[in-house]
Amino acid sequence: MSEEIEQDWLDRKLQEAAPYIEDDGFTARVLQQLPVAQMRWQFLRPLILVGMSAFASALTYVLSDGGRFLLVEMFKLTTIPTLWVVAFALASGMLVMAGGIFAAMSKTTHFQS
Amino acid sequence: MELTDAGLVARVLVDDDQHAFGELVRRHQSTVRGLLRQLTRGDLALADDLAQDAFVRAYKNIRGFRGEAKFSTWLYRITYNCFREDARKRKELVGINKEQWQAELDPQTVDPGLRHDLMHALSLLPLHERSAVLLCCQNGLSHDEAARVLEIPLGTVKTNVLRGREKLKKTLAVWAH
Repeated sequence: MSEEIEQDWLDRKLQEAAPYIEDDGFTARVLQQLPVAQMRWQFLRPLILVGMSAFASALTYVLSDGGRFLLVEMFKLTTIPTLWVVAFALASGMLVMAGGIFAAMSKTTHFQS
Repeated sequence: MELTDAGLVARVLVDDDQHAFGELVRRHQSTVRGLLRQLTRGDLALADDLAQDAFVRAYKNIRGFRGEAKFSTWLYRITYNCFREDARKRKELVGINKEQWQAELDPQTVDPGLRHDLMHALSLLPLHERSAVLLCCQNGLSHDEAARVLEIPLGTVKTNVLRGREKLKKTLAVWAH
């Protein structure tokens, strides 16, 4: 028997002599011994975001005299000439349409390639 | 789709997901317990205690796993360290419980006589040769991976595997023909 075949035979027998060991509750015992998962920052992340947003909104409300600037800006809008409003609407519409066409064209190119 | 070991480790790291770690334990418990059974020369209770210790230690130190090696290699290293520390405490007074060891093995795959001789021959090897043979020949680690697990130079691993193999071949010569 050649050296290599002998080596393969030995390795194979060693591998066969190590059969699969059934779990039999081993994993459960390990999991019981693990330290209790600590509350990590990621659980607090949404709370912090919501809290900061609420705080920022409250601060803005207070500093802007109860949102008065909104009323002022709305009033200013009502005084804009009608021609300006029509021009603004037309420009916005064209911009959105151009964006849509560009997106459609790039998608078509993607599918063709 | 089944997650890879690296994916499960990522879940443990990011979400402290103990279920993901449980899956890792389920995947590797057989090889880790098998290795320890042979390192402890068939002391099943001690091997399982050490295996539990190894997995708990792996969980606590999982941030130390950098993904440079396979998860199994990293786990073997922790396992071997657990065994070595325990062996130092016990000063290698690990007994051979051959009857229990043999009873645990499946008689279907290997001739019971051959298995008995193989296990006996393995248990007679000095620890450094036994560890190297078990990792490389039985568990399929490369010499380089085994060197990392055992924390010894690559050349020493190769020598230990070669010598261990030679001794096993001599003992099992009658079975090879």
